[in-house]
This record gives sequence, C-alpha cells and structure tokens, in this order.
Amino acid sequence: MIPFVAVVRLRSQESRTLRLWIPLVLIWLLVLPLGILLLPFIFIACLVCRVNPLRLVGVLWQILSALTDTQLDVEHRTAGGSFHIL
Amino acid sequence: MNEHRRQILQMLSEGKVSADEAERLISAMEEPSTTKSSDMGLKSGGKDRPKYLRVQVDSEDGDRHDGPTKVNVRVPMQLLRAGVKLAYLIPAAALQKANLAMQEKGFPVDLTQIKPDNLEELVEQLSDLVVDVDQKDANTKVKVRVFCE
Repeated sequence: MIPFVAVVRLRSQESRTLRLWIPLVLIWLLVLPLGILLLPFIFIACLVCRVNPLRLVGVLWQILSALTDTQLDVEHRTAGGSFHIL
Repeated sequence: MNEHRRQILQMLSEGKVSADEAERLISAMEEPSTTKSSDMGLKSGGKDRPKYLRVQVDSEDGDRHDGPTKVNVRVPMQLLRAGVKLAYLIPAAALQKANLAMQEKGFPVDLTQIKPDNLEELVEQLSDLVVDVDQKDANTKVKVRVFCE
C-alpha cells in the first residue's frame, strides 16, 4: 500500500509546535495524470537503455509502497522537527 | 573456540570489561544461536526478520553550550530491498561508471554484482549489523549508532 499521509512536526525555540498532516493522496492524484502523459517517453527511454519498462514500473511502485513508516527526527534544545510517512 | 568469545575473553584479560560484563556479553552472544538451533527443526529462518534500519546520532558541541542535537532515522528494510532491485535495473555501463566514481572516493564496491538472486542474503546480513561510533574531543561528543530492529 502506498503512503497516504505525511506528518511534519516543527518545534521552535518558544516551544511552539506546528504539526502538519500532508495528504499524499492528493499529490498522487496530481502526479497520476502527469505520469500517464510521460508514460510513452518513459517507455522509449527504457527501450533505449534496454530496461524492461514493466519491471521498472514495478520496482518504482515497490519503492513508493516501502516508504510507509519512514521516520526522521531531529531534536535540539532550541528547535526540532520530525517527518513521518504513514 | 568461537572468535567472538575469544574477543570477549581478551577484553576481560585486558581489563576493558569486568567479569560480570563479560558473562553478560557471552550469554547475550549465545542466546540467539540456541534459539536459532531450537527453531531450526520447526521452520527455516525462525529468527525474526528486522523491519527497520535505524540510525541514531547524538552530538554535543561544548563550545556552543546550546544543548545536544539528536537525530533519529528509521528506514524500512523493504525500502532497501526495493532500492537494491532498482540498482539491478540500472544499465551495466552506468553501473561501471558508478563503480569507478565510488572507487575514487575510496569505497570499492562492485554494483554489477547486485542481483535479485543474492538480494535476500544481502538484506538478511544487514540484520546482524551494528555500528557504534563514539567520538569524544575536548569540545565535541558525537555518538553514532546504526542497527536493525
């Protein structure tokens, strides 16, 4: 399953915390038509590079799906932030 | 004698660890192997597969006196698997260039040898990976830990 939401948390020096829920679904919906438009060019590029296009699409899908649960936290006394893909 | 056991005993003889610590290290070292051997008859690869690769960095700069900085990164192992598969799709000519570039940087790795056949073995080996780096200068303390969980 591809990730649907990314949570970004930013903490400033004044202990104010900003939490953003980014709906990745909307991004996928925007990227999808672009991907479809670029599909013939990707297919030609794959043929030129002698790469199986179906395999490439499969691997890219796997990478997208595997992004779920990726987490990055940075904490400091003055500020901090985290990025979590759900 | 097992190489790890020998190293622990060596550390004990040099006084780097106490007898209690050495005992704990040896028992911790033996634990997974006994579990593994008891599971072997029931199912192959009974050891829990790690799900994430973790990188933790704790850094403290004494000059700035503004507290420690902590970085915590968690990458799913599935992403590593997919990444290796993507590397396999890269044309051989491009991989050769990448190999050369990495060799110039002092990292001699042959990327052309990464194949789906040995992908699982490669990722499995990462489960035993633990890298601990401790750097203590007069002003800076940095602790880096890389492990799988």
